Amino acid sequence: MSIKHSRRDLLFSAGMGLGTVALNALLAEQANAGPLTPKTPHHPAKAKHCIFLLMEGGPSHIDTFDPKPKLAQLHMTRFAKQQNKFEANMNTGERYYVKSPFKFRRAGKMGIEINSLLESFSEVVDDCCFYRGLKGDSVNHPTALYHLNTGNQFGGDPALGAWASYGLGTVNQNLPSFLVLPDVAYPQGGAANWSNGFLPAYYQGTPLRPEGAPILDMAPPPGMTKERQQANLGFWKELNQFHRARRPDHAELDARLESYELAFRMQAEMPGIVDLEKESPATLAMYGIGGPNKDADALGRRCLLARRLVEKGVRFVQVIAMGWDSHDYIDKAHGSRLRAIDKPISGLLKDLKRTGLLDDTLVVWAGEFGRSPDNGIRRGSQAWGRDHNANAMSMWLAGGGVKAGNIIGATDEVGGMAVENVHPLRDLHVTLLHLLGLDDSKLRYLHAGREKQLSQVGGQVIRELLA
Amino acid sequence: MSRLFPLLCIALPLAAQSGDELFLQKIQPVLVRDCQGCHGPTQALSKLTVSSRNGLLQGGARGAAILPNQPDQSLLLQVLEGRNGLQMPPGGPKQKLPQETIAAFREWIAAGAVWPTRPAETKWSYKDEDLWALRPVRPFDPAKTIDAFLKTADPRADRRTLIRRATFDLTGLPPTPEEVNAFLADKSPQAWDKLIDRLLASPRYGERFGRHWLDVVRYADSSGYSNDFERPNAWRYRDYVIRSFNQDKPYDQFIREQIAGDELYPGNPEALIATGFLRSGPWEHTAMSVEAVTRQLFLDDVAHNTVSTFLGLTLGCAKCHDHKFDPIPTKDYYRVQAVFASTEFARPKLPFLPAENTADLPAGAAHIQALYDRTLASMKEFRRDHPASEEYEEFKLYRKHSQLYKESLNRFQPLAFTVSSGPLDGQTDGGPTLKYPPMAEYRPAPVHILPGGNIQSPAEAVTPGVLSALEKAGQYPAIEIPNTVAGRRSAFARWIANARNPLTARVMANRIWQTHFGEGIAGDPSNFGKMGKKPINSELLDWLAGALIQNGWRIKPIHRLILQSAAYQSTNFQPRRLEAEALRDSLLAVSGELNLEAGGPGVFPQINEDVARQPQHRMGSLAPAYAPSPLRRQRNRRTIYTFQQRSLPDPLVEVFNGPTLDLSCERREASTVPTQAFGLLNSQFTNDLALAMAARLEKEAPTLNARLRRAFELAFNRPAEPAELQAATRHFNRMLAFHKTNPPPSKAKPQPLVHKITSELTGETSEFVQAPDPAPYEPNLHPSDVGPATRALSDVTLMLLNANEFVYVY
Repeated sequence: MSIKHSRRDLLFSAGMGLGTVALNALLAEQANAGPLTPKTPHHPAKAKHCIFLLMEGGPSHIDTFDPKPKLAQLHMTRFAKQQNKFEANMNTGERYYVKSPFKFRRAGKMGIEINSLLESFSEVVDDCCFYRGLKGDSVNHPTALYHLNTGNQFGGDPALGAWASYGLGTVNQNLPSFLVLPDVAYPQGGAANWSNGFLPAYYQGTPLRPEGAPILDMAPPPGMTKERQQANLGFWKELNQFHRARRPDHAELDARLESYELAFRMQAEMPGIVDLEKESPATLAMYGIGGPNKDADALGRRCLLARRLVEKGVRFVQVIAMGWDSHDYIDKAHGSRLRAIDKPISGLLKDLKRTGLLDDTLVVWAGEFGRSPDNGIRRGSQAWGRDHNANAMSMWLAGGGVKAGNIIGATDEVGGMAVENVHPLRDLHVTLLHLLGLDDSKLRYLHAGREKQLSQVGGQVIRELLA
Repeated sequence: MSRLFPLLCIALPLAAQSGDELFLQKIQPVLVRDCQGCHGPTQALSKLTVSSRNGLLQGGARGAAILPNQPDQSLLLQVLEGRNGLQMPPGGPKQKLPQETIAAFREWIAAGAVWPTRPAETKWSYKDEDLWALRPVRPFDPAKTIDAFLKTADPRADRRTLIRRATFDLTGLPPTPEEVNAFLADKSPQAWDKLIDRLLASPRYGERFGRHWLDVVRYADSSGYSNDFERPNAWRYRDYVIRSFNQDKPYDQFIREQIAGDELYPGNPEALIATGFLRSGPWEHTAMSVEAVTRQLFLDDVAHNTVSTFLGLTLGCAKCHDHKFDPIPTKDYYRVQAVFASTEFARPKLPFLPAENTADLPAGAAHIQALYDRTLASMKEFRRDHPASEEYEEFKLYRKHSQLYKESLNRFQPLAFTVSSGPLDGQTDGGPTLKYPPMAEYRPAPVHILPGGNIQSPAEAVTPGVLSALEKAGQYPAIEIPNTVAGRRSAFARWIANARNPLTARVMANRIWQTHFGEGIAGDPSNFGKMGKKPINSELLDWLAGALIQNGWRIKPIHRLILQSAAYQSTNFQPRRLEAEALRDSLLAVSGELNLEAGGPGVFPQINEDVARQPQHRMGSLAPAYAPSPLRRQRNRRTIYTFQQRSLPDPLVEVFNGPTLDLSCERREASTVPTQAFGLLNSQFTNDLALAMAARLEKEAPTLNARLRRAFELAFNRPAEPAELQAATRHFNRMLAFHKTNPPPSKAKPQPLVHKITSELTGETSEFVQAPDPAPYEPNLHPSDVGPATRALSDVTLMLLNANEFVYVY
């Protein structure tokens, strides 16, 4: 091990001879080696940031963005799905087609038919590219969520946000690169949905909690005043300097000092970021914040926070909205979800547009799968909902590089199966990376002797989604 | 030709594909996804099945679907293209498959419609040097030592450094000041050897080395996924591992017990517990999962993990195609899978062993029983007849709680979490019970090669077998594995646990080495294939592997050889940050709070309160909130004894690079991130321990000076330098002044825990108040329990616990 001057030695001696230019060069050189320093993308791309609106539970395409009038004719038509060893128990046996209980409206110049409850959202559809060709592999929530978020049905692989951070670094070194804004309860499968997997921990999704301290233990415990903590840290620095002098060749010690400093910068910056009261009443209202719908208020806060984080240079923000698993009473259940998301998601798009951020931000709205056109009907004739369906779903993209105002792909006439422009999930992953300037086949990480990538096995860009 | 993105673990060069590859990547997925639903094994509309080449050649009501080499005459292509008024998939032009897919079909038929009955035979890209790990291990030379291979010229580290290094390495804990002093005082030439012997004889050794093993096998006390059901008896496997290492059980026996203990050692309870290894991965079966898929996932998991754990080879790629980089044909993959085809889940009665810690079982069972009874009573209070009511949501929540508590009650029962060859019972992890025929009628499901890994189009059937490459490249004869219900795993285990198997001893010797040097001699301990890092000194690795075998597969002699080497005792030693468990255990140890009790069901430590109070999603409802163990002695056990819930890791362990419980962890990462600073500096846990340490110092030393000196000895295993002592005294005095004028915070009253539940039926949100745990909670020492001087001393100790020197080992 060679003994060399550490960065900190030089910093401490900066006042004694090392010029500012040299110091800056040194800092830049150090910064280049940093795991989160901004990196050049593989190809030029408009989108620099991504906000991923994850609808947990499996939103029904049939009742949101892909209406199926045919189901009104077939409503309550009974048929039997054969017992099949490749079907889940819940999807076999006696089945009935069920119509959508919702009204639909034609929206935007593009004229897409969407659920009438999406009133505010109808004003922004022309900014979105709706995609109906996606197919997943799993009809089980956690595996499907892992698949959507990490490319692998088994938990433990890096999430999309981790890959994006690994590929692009991040602009704001005072904040994590990948932030997750979950509901109070975590989605099924938990924190593995935003794992760094085998990538270094710098790329891990950091959840910002909607209640309590936004980042775990960011606030000191009761009784640890600022004055006391600063005095403590003064002593801590002394201890570490004594130690540093004894271990001149142990460079990691500097990294640890820096991590504490970064923690304090974060501690200083975060309260200002999460404080939404600085926003105008009009902006708050646009997101549904302060309105009568409490779910919309809560989600609106997360969506607004997502904009603020992107504004601060955060690379990837995932907003999670739960509760789409409407096996029964889809009328009520999806109805309340749609009312809860309408203002928050459209407010986000309007706000990103207003602030000019939409040009370099990619917005994704997706759930882990779509829902079935048929139902086993449990508990009476008004109680019907829809089961899971990985063969058909709806999602949309908006923002940088996206072919806005279009519908790409199609499902069959009852919405059971994607039939046009059909792509597996890995192609969506490749496309999202592509929109962020990254090439899935180049964005690899050698782990346990294997070159790994988000798509697992390679995939293709869904060109039709691109502007 | 369009750009190709092959369906392989590793993207191939964008070159022309063979017919096999074209089929696997472009044709078969379409047939399965878009055609097989109506023209498959379960439903053959128009009498057509597309699940085999024969099916297509024979065709259906309209005649042959394909004519090889004649795409234009092939009916299949006509209907895909919508020619002659025929269109598939049905539903008009909009349903048509993408143009490039149809082009692929044309190309495939034109090339003869190759349908590999086994997956593509590809040219392996390994060179001779890539096969190093398969070659026979070099003969062992007892005259050599480690230093003969490494020729270290570095000076020997000082004794304090050495005892700290060795104690952390072998026990995961810092030495006590008394242990340090005794070692310094021992002037005999055997002092170092005696220290090694003492550490290896300590029960703490098994806890330390056991943790390394649990990393590899992905040990957890729950099953993961939606319900994350408790595995109530998994703790017996964890303790089995610790006992085995403490006893220095021969590693070959350890292997046999874990792979086939039930078959090889009938009547030996340890061996039955050991076989729980085969179920250590995440697993779930619900009404929404497909039984055939669930079973296939288990077979994939168990085959892959058994091979990567013991043989250090990755099998995953061979699932879909012949391994690109290692000589593992797909057939071998499925033959290994067939070894486990008769392995079924079991939870037989197995009385507790004298070696098992059952002290807390009665109290623990009574505690859960009280919670269970209370839940059942609550359940009755709510209407369950109207599923769209708020009441029903509460009913459902209590029902979910009752399911979870009921499963937890098994934690205290003498049951084994294990497997059997053929059905013993159909027990699963809390989910639906698997249905098995009676043993007499039981036939293991045949295992087929699944081209592309697709279970819907099985190809050639295979019999159980071993990896052929070891015979080809390693002169280690393959063996026959019986195709019977019992005996498959026994034979496979014997084949692995064999001195002639070139991989087994090498892989373990390398894992042992890594625990001492932070990196293995071969850098990827679970991948000894081409893509794994080559050994930096393959002769040394072989020598160590030989030493392991020569020592009757005992592991402790290998530790001894390593610690006795000059390489290990050198000053030039890669500094290492404590792993999460060693860090937490050290915090508890130096603060005087560590309870060294061993074994028994997992305990629930103090974790971040926001996380503890957070609602935890379980399929369709919420789990009861996390409740730390009521007694301090339970909360403050070693980390290896804490309950490992896959969906709720201790955030302090997680942030210090604790293992992902779902994936095998072959080596810990040690990245430095700011959230670690929050965890160590601001968490209630470390602040409580700093206060406990201050109280301990006051008890153990009479003066401030003596207390501060002892604090340094405890935390850093060395005396404080005068300048350090001055700085610490200065800081103490400054904080004493602070605390004299600033009263401590008052004790927080327990806040009622309110969880919101959004009904998945109605989307409406209701609130649910979680009743407090009935067991009286023994609190930690609180700042208001002590005077300003203790609080000031805790400011000093908190910073010592945060100091770089505390978290690094040199």
